Amino acid sequence: MIAARQFGTVIGLAALCVVLWILTPHFMSVSNLLNIAEQTSINAIVAVGMTFVILSGGIDLSVGSIVALSGVVLGTALQGGQPIPAALLLALVVGLACGLGNGALISWGGLPPFIVTLGTMSIARGAALLYTEGRPVSGFDASFRVLATGRAGFIPAPVIAMVLVYLVAHFALTRTTFGRYVYAIGGNEEATRLSGVAIRFHKTMIYGVSGLMSAAAAVILTARLNSAQPIAGMMYELDAIAATVIGGTSLMGGEGSLGGTLVGALIMGVLRNGLNLLGVSSFLQQIVIGGVIVIAVLLDTVLKRKHRV
Amino acid sequence: MNANATPVLEMRGVSKAFPGVVALDGVGLTLHAGDVHMLLGENGAGKSTLMKILSGAYRKDAGEIRIDGQPVDIGSPRDALALGIRVIYQELNLVPQLSVAENIFLGAMPTRWTGVVDWRALDDRASQVLADLGLDAAALGPRTRIARLGMAQRQMVEIAKALVSSASAPAAAAQGLRVLVMDEPTSSLTSREVTQLFALIERLTARGVAIVYITHRLDEVFRIGRRVTVLRDGRHVTTRLLSEVNVPELVRLMANRDLSEQFPKVRAPRGPELLRVEHVSRGGTLSDICLSLHGGEVLGIAGLVGAGRTELARVIAGADRCDTGRLLVDGGEVRLRGPADAIARGIGLLPEDRKAQGLVPGLTVARNIALPHGTRLARLGVLPGGSEAALAGPIADELRVKSTATQTVRLLSGGNQQKVVLGKWLAGDVRIFIFDEPTRGIDVGAKVEIYHLMNRLTARGAGIIMISSELPELLGMSDRILVMHRGRIHAEIDGADATEERVLRAALGLAS
Repeated sequence: MIAARQFGTVIGLAALCVVLWILTPHFMSVSNLLNIAEQTSINAIVAVGMTFVILSGGIDLSVGSIVALSGVVLGTALQGGQPIPAALLLALVVGLACGLGNGALISWGGLPPFIVTLGTMSIARGAALLYTEGRPVSGFDASFRVLATGRAGFIPAPVIAMVLVYLVAHFALTRTTFGRYVYAIGGNEEATRLSGVAIRFHKTMIYGVSGLMSAAAAVILTARLNSAQPIAGMMYELDAIAATVIGGTSLMGGEGSLGGTLVGALIMGVLRNGLNLLGVSSFLQQIVIGGVIVIAVLLDTVLKRKHRV
Repeated sequence: MNANATPVLEMRGVSKAFPGVVALDGVGLTLHAGDVHMLLGENGAGKSTLMKILSGAYRKDAGEIRIDGQPVDIGSPRDALALGIRVIYQELNLVPQLSVAENIFLGAMPTRWTGVVDWRALDDRASQVLADLGLDAAALGPRTRIARLGMAQRQMVEIAKALVSSASAPAAAAQGLRVLVMDEPTSSLTSREVTQLFALIERLTARGVAIVYITHRLDEVFRIGRRVTVLRDGRHVTTRLLSEVNVPELVRLMANRDLSEQFPKVRAPRGPELLRVEHVSRGGTLSDICLSLHGGEVLGIAGLVGAGRTELARVIAGADRCDTGRLLVDGGEVRLRGPADAIARGIGLLPEDRKAQGLVPGLTVARNIALPHGTRLARLGVLPGGSEAALAGPIADELRVKSTATQTVRLLSGGNQQKVVLGKWLAGDVRIFIFDEPTRGIDVGAKVEIYHLMNRLTARGAGIIMISSELPELLGMSDRILVMHRGRIHAEIDGADATEERVLRAALGLAS
């Protein structure tokens, strides 16, 4: 799952953990590590979809808004007394539909992904606000909370969900024709088209995956907060892009892996958690995280350049 | 030219190794002022690596470089530029949206004291440079946008740029351009454009510029070259005066085997009609094209650049649609809505530009070859482990692709890359092959391998449409030749009666 070139990212994560361990011993406690994994799960799942999109040479700015829209649809359905499976399915369908809509406009409409998903970012956010009249939705059945509070042994449900999503998505990316086409389209779209691959269909599906992943993240987020908020998921697109890029996926498309993205998401989670434990102000945290993104990509670029010559 | 004078450039014992391969092993190259030095070798022989060391893109592991007898250290492209060394690559580095003058002076634009570009000075200087090169201002105005120029004119802009940026490089103010490396400069030029380019090269050498010229076209070697250096497998084979060698000898030196026949054509029995094109027109590029392709046949398509040959190939391969007319495969009309439909009918396209249209550079050899066959290999969308390697392995072996199946195609040489693109169509049920410039930019050995492959395909009953700008190849391998001129089929010539002159006259639109 983790290619040789992601090795550096793994070492970076390990080094980060060691430093934080020395600075604040509590960091390495099992409860804190599980806490990090749980907090990371949402960004990590959104980043799965983002990795598919970026690998194919695109970008999806609408993921955060789709998280909010799927979340409030889920919350409203639960509040209205729908059975949990039906409400979950509804939320996932909404996310998938948003993604497929993005994909269809990009492939058949021939519009740049940046523009289309920028539009959807605003549309889905507006729809979520309109749908809820701007108010949070809460008051769910206690059994729904299990999705956030439940544990298998000592592992929290969101972490299990994250691991399952990564296993399935990794399989899809490495062992299916769909996954192969994701890399091929990102690597050389014209050559892939001339090889008889249905580019438009597959591109649409790629954005569909991204929407679906956003909806899955919305389910966990809603369960964790025990409330669905139309302003949820702000800046998630940037976190997901950051995790993907830190994980070594090329913004040009065609190169990268989900293993890298998972490590990237974990680096961001560990960093946030560690800085909190150290009592670093949230303002300063933003600066540090921004610095890490740039440094990670800089290192990757420098190493690649060295490797090539 | 006095051969005893200090050489402009001397490379001695240059070596370079990459992980797993020794790309250069103690290679030397000596250039005198005013020399046109041909650098020959099969793909992977080390020509590009040697030139990349000269231009500062790579660092050498060992060896010595001297300019005017003085040892120099070329650590970066900037250093090379400062020494008056410039490389013009096959893919030109111009900004299409900017004008000729802006491109020539890119990075060194004359400005007024306010920092605003002094447009008049820019134009004047550009005109001066172009005039120095003997270029007609009417044909190549400094204000013309690059996007509106043909390939030959763009190349001349590159050369003008080479002159200027060497002159303006800080350490070489007095030196100007000393060494110009041209990598396959004629690969996309028409023959008239080639003549223009050669005239320009002569003017440059008259000014004392030493030129390294890389090509696979042996006729050019003798037309403008003075000396030749042959590399093979990273080693220096020989350096000779061209007056002392002939074509067969050169080919033997490059390939280390006697290519008694450059075009090993084997005629296959003519089979049933596979493809018929009836009255196909498209936009302003194709008008009323009719042709028919039989099994066992190689149908050559000749024509100048822009005659509509590639456009025709793309219509037949389903990449573009035609406005009017129809296609019949095995006698039945087919509607191609995309390349997938064409492939399903057994039509495979080897595109003109393998890098842009043929390959996914980051994928492995096996995955590139298997790319069109994903649906066939997969079970419910899942590719069984090793299925791509199992499909591609025998094909890569048959084509003698020099690589492992898990190597990304980015790292392969041009000839090997072309074999991989070919391999995509050997894996399926393709019977109608469209080869658009199948041997462009690949070495003699690989060319002959591709000709042998064509023989094997026609022997199996497949039909091949071969578009080529190399007349000897068209004459040598085609059973019939169609000559296109301005989007029309201007002449049909039987392979047995075809001569270069007849084909050329037709391509120029003259009665044949």
